[in-house]
Amino acid sequence: MASEEESKASPQDQKQQNPVAENGDGLFSPRFKSVAAMAGWDEEAILVAALVVEDTPDRLCKHKKRTGLQFKTPPSNSRRKRRAQRRSPVSIPIVVLDLDEEQSAKGESEQTKVEVKNVANEEKRTEEEKKTAGDELKIEENSGVSCSNSVLPCIDKLREELSCAICLEICYEPSTTTCGHSFCKKCLRSAADKCGKRCPKCRQLISNGRSCTVNTVLWNTIQLLFPQEIEARKAGGALNNPEESEHRSPARGSQYNVRTRSSRPSLASSSSQTSSTRRRGIPSQDEDAEHRISGRGSHNNVESRSVRPASVLQRDGTTRRRGRPSQDEVAATALRLERENLARLLGRDGSVRRWRITSNEDDDEDAVLALRLQREEFMDAFRENPDQSNRTSLSSARSNLRAMASRAINIRTRRHPI
Amino acid sequence: MNSSIGVGGMPAASWVSTTSVSASGKRIQREMVELNSDPPPDCSAGPKGDNLYNWVSTIIGPTGTPYEGGIFFLDIMFPIDYPFKPPKVTFKTRIYHCNVDSAGNVWLDILKDSWSPALTITKVLLAIRSMFTNPDTYSPIVVDIAHMYLADRAKHDELAAEWTLRFAK
Repeated sequence: MASEEESKASPQDQKQQNPVAENGDGLFSPRFKSVAAMAGWDEEAILVAALVVEDTPDRLCKHKKRTGLQFKTPPSNSRRKRRAQRRSPVSIPIVVLDLDEEQSAKGESEQTKVEVKNVANEEKRTEEEKKTAGDELKIEENSGVSCSNSVLPCIDKLREELSCAICLEICYEPSTTTCGHSFCKKCLRSAADKCGKRCPKCRQLISNGRSCTVNTVLWNTIQLLFPQEIEARKAGGALNNPEESEHRSPARGSQYNVRTRSSRPSLASSSSQTSSTRRRGIPSQDEDAEHRISGRGSHNNVESRSVRPASVLQRDGTTRRRGRPSQDEVAATALRLERENLARLLGRDGSVRRWRITSNEDDDEDAVLALRLQREEFMDAFRENPDQSNRTSLSSARSNLRAMASRAINIRTRRHPI
Repeated sequence: MNSSIGVGGMPAASWVSTTSVSASGKRIQREMVELNSDPPPDCSAGPKGDNLYNWVSTIIGPTGTPYEGGIFFLDIMFPIDYPFKPPKVTFKTRIYHCNVDSAGNVWLDILKDSWSPALTITKVLLAIRSMFTNPDTYSPIVVDIAHMYLADRAKHDELAAEWTLRFAK
């Protein structure tokens, strides 16, 4: 018992103890010394080891607790064992640090999760969309930043791996061939048109570039890993093809929302525009023309995720349409949480972004400017966008849903009187 | 694809800003960066002047071949719809090789029918370099040299070394 207490003594105590015990008498019993001599350890080495233990910074008290957890061996009278226990934190200080940070990060994330959920719930009940959506936008932007700031040791390899072999840039809307190679959708189409129907990588026959659809998982992954490149490319594409951006202009706001991962406002602003494609469900082969008209928002990932739960959970077409907002909210929240998780997983260091900017600052400069312009544009649009018509339609849809639900309950109770 | 930038001369500053550059220009620029950061052995390449679509390249004759020690200059012309069309590669240095005609045109399958947009200029240079060590005698453009290579390898190597000494050093 006494030995256990000694081992749990605070670091300050030990620090005080140590100078006094310079000769080793106070610290090591003669018996221990003889054992150590038998084991071939000289006293100096033991003292140095002890000092190393003392030198570890303030976290020592935490280590004590942790060693208790990590080494489940009962406290024994053998001083050698205790020494081993004392030394152990030295060999794994980083691990311990990581554990601590992870725990605190977990706590934080849980907090934010709760916050986000609260926000979502509030949205459902009260219909103050504008304000909460704005809050969310901030949250989402933060998470996006943390994501892009993250450091992955293999980020270079990933960049290489996720690059399109045709344009040599990060795959934009990757489509995967039957032979398993992925290229930008546009690049693959051009290749199929101009170079024949063979895979650019392995020369296997591919049926047709047009039948290749976007690989959703890959595309989402790329968007999560390289949000800046994708945004720059979107902005660049919009600037480069003015006629196309004109086509897209009605859905521009929604497109931007997806990028900032604020799915809520996109629903508010684009629900009417994308509803046609939504009812259609999963995009079919003639998607190209329709997408151009209805806007890029139709093949964003929020869309692709929200379609399925909505269609599964709601059988009737009309209720499906009316019930969509809440369904989408759930899907959007889930998506957001997932993104946050990934962002946290990736870490929070800022050097990737810096590295990226220095690596191709020429490329990025214009794109960044364009992006900023677009962002401002969007902010303006957003202020006006969830206007009266949308809000009233949403609120009326909700009240309709509520009325229908109560009617259904009434009918049921009438049929099956309790 | 066909943006404001053609094959004709353009100021050096214009292709630095990427938003106005065509897809082919962007890709060529990327290849340039890649080539500079990780050049293939015994090869170098870069834009001739201000024109991004017109490159000059050098390949040093690999050791163990009759072309050893020779420095061969090549011109590379990128089409506007690169990478969907292959670049045109010509030898500016005369070479005794069954796959290079007297005008210096390189007859490699990957520069003709077997071109793939996934190929880069780095890979093309490597292919040309391997052409030095292993001439493609099955589809030669200069049939005499191919015959000589198959019939009398020593004579072929001697002639090739002589040409290398004369034109490439």
